[in-house]
Amino acid sequence: MSEITQAQITEQLCRRLADFTNAEMEISPETNLITHLAIDSVKLLNLVMEIEDHFDISVPLNALVDVLTVQDLSNLIYKIKSATK
Amino acid sequence: MLKTDSQPSNIDLDSATPTLHLLSQRRADFTTLVEALEYAAQGDTGYNFYDAKGRLRAVLTYRELRARAQATAKRLSGLGLARGSRVALVADTTPEFIEIFFACRYAGLVPFAMPVPVNLGSHAIYVRQLQGMLESSQASVAVAGLDFVGFLEEAASGENDNALKWCGTPAQLNLLPEANVTFAANSPEETAYLQFTSGSTRAPRGVVITERALMSNLRGIVCNGLKVRQGDRCASWLPFYHDMGLVGLVLAPLAAQLSVDYLATRDFAVRPLQWLRLISRNRCTIAFSQPFGLKLCTLRARESDLKELDLSCWRAAGVGAEMIRVDTLKSFAAKFSAAGFDERAFLPCYGLAESTLAVSFPALDQGAQSLCVDTKTLVEKKMAVRVQADGRKFNEFVNCGRPLSGHVVKIVDEDGQELPHMMVGSVWVRGDSVMDGYFNNPAETTRAIKPGGWLDTGDIGFVFEGDLYITGRRTDVIIVNGRNIRAQDVEELAEQQPEVRSREASAFGVSDRDGSTIVVLVIETRLASADDRQSLINRLQQMIYMAFGVNCLVELVPPHTLPRTSSGKLSRFAARQGFLHRTNIENLTAASTVG
Repeated sequence: MSEITQAQITEQLCRRLADFTNAEMEISPETNLITHLAIDSVKLLNLVMEIEDHFDISVPLNALVDVLTVQDLSNLIYKIKSATK
Repeated sequence: MLKTDSQPSNIDLDSATPTLHLLSQRRADFTTLVEALEYAAQGDTGYNFYDAKGRLRAVLTYRELRARAQATAKRLSGLGLARGSRVALVADTTPEFIEIFFACRYAGLVPFAMPVPVNLGSHAIYVRQLQGMLESSQASVAVAGLDFVGFLEEAASGENDNALKWCGTPAQLNLLPEANVTFAANSPEETAYLQFTSGSTRAPRGVVITERALMSNLRGIVCNGLKVRQGDRCASWLPFYHDMGLVGLVLAPLAAQLSVDYLATRDFAVRPLQWLRLISRNRCTIAFSQPFGLKLCTLRARESDLKELDLSCWRAAGVGAEMIRVDTLKSFAAKFSAAGFDERAFLPCYGLAESTLAVSFPALDQGAQSLCVDTKTLVEKKMAVRVQADGRKFNEFVNCGRPLSGHVVKIVDEDGQELPHMMVGSVWVRGDSVMDGYFNNPAETTRAIKPGGWLDTGDIGFVFEGDLYITGRRTDVIIVNGRNIRAQDVEELAEQQPEVRSREASAFGVSDRDGSTIVVLVIETRLASADDRQSLINRLQQMIYMAFGVNCLVELVPPHTLPRTSSGKLSRFAARQGFLHRTNIENLTAASTVG
């Protein structure tokens, strides 16, 4: 897979989240996954699976405990992708 | 041979431990856990660990487990701990967890499993949860794998009241010198392990299980419940920190020398079909799940998945750990019958950590039996009468079978008086599997263990023709997607907000018709501004999510709305009734309120 920038990850993530939550609202990097998008544990698992398939990475559970916003999640994906290059 | 991540991943399936072997089968007739391992170590069976893609990642034969546990026990002995000292283990699905668990038993120490974090944004709350368990258990040693040891170190540092002498990873533990000791045999009266019952942040309760209780329950599971035989093989995704995962799918198979195939809980949750593939490929006969796990499988399976599965080998599909609804089982069977799943394999059981694990099992090979009882009689007379005429409203309850041999179940009223059959009341259990009590917590112990050695399970149910039916779980525990959440913990979190006073929050669960439960939090407040009210609601929802991983419906009500008992205590049951009345939510079943 070719290099992907952090901005591209954020953009793709926002698009996937929009499909995922059927929310009417605009999704930005500051969007809070819990309070704004109501990602519960079942949705979270679906999301993790989609992220893993889409970005071809493995997301460790211990890393998610520091994720609150779309930006946090994007940072995490970028970090994992950079580490596995 | 133990294989680690660093080895090539294309290990042939042949290197998993076998299903059949030459050692003659002994069915959990041991007096201690170590004795059970000593026997199993004479055969070729053991534990197999698979990764998210279904590849064999590690193999731990019982023989290897014995050798490694003994070596680790000598290292632990070098720390000079008193017999019975507690050892805290963050229980990821790894060979190392099992090795250290057994090492503790060889060394006369008491292990207990702590959960791994699973929720978004839960860092701080997870650390507090670990702190609570370290303090409550007064653990001397704490061990976590690389992924989690950072949280453990955070929990161990700072100003808190723990007794830790050593904290680190399994690899660091392996660097300690082996002390030259001979192990003293364990006695049946000694504590085998502690089991923490919920992810509560304050005053977590550690169930004390003795060797006698454990061996009694394992015998019940192996001989009465599953009637284990040669040719059985288990598969499990259940977390090792859950009683069903630990007792049911780690210790029980070992006590009958069966091989087990593990999938990490996280990997199951993300890709549930991997569990079914494992069962199909390795011809597993025994696999347990919470209803939630079955639901995930049903939701995620596609037609193409069904073609590659052959589940005809699965003879005991145990279901437990939360209220079982017939619909969940029916949908699963409807989906997977095309893949050879036989619905007669369903084995809905009842149990709880306070009785080690299992309390009752139905007969094998009959599938999930249920009883439709008249709703009006149930609600008005607290009596379960089979529904007679068409068109009358009814509630359907799953038959959880009969108590394990040597155990008795009775149904009692609010004064502890035994009720006749068919009457709905509290479920009490007596027998060797019942816990000694909660560790270092006489007040909670007295509340749970009644005179005569009866355990008040807190659950509500009835007995019909000798079989136990559960109609509702206790009101102080809300079960969402298989997770137990203590209502009190939710209320205490709410009360940490400056706008919320103590005794002005009430939490409970409500279920809709398809059996999903949501957490409802009702708060009394004088806040008038819409912004302030919304800010409080957002904050509460976020905190509850971070602590418990569930969404929560927050309702703000004027002061003096919540019903109180004569002693001024909030009544969750009445608060729930009030909420249902105010919101007039349709589709809520009466079933979970009975009692």
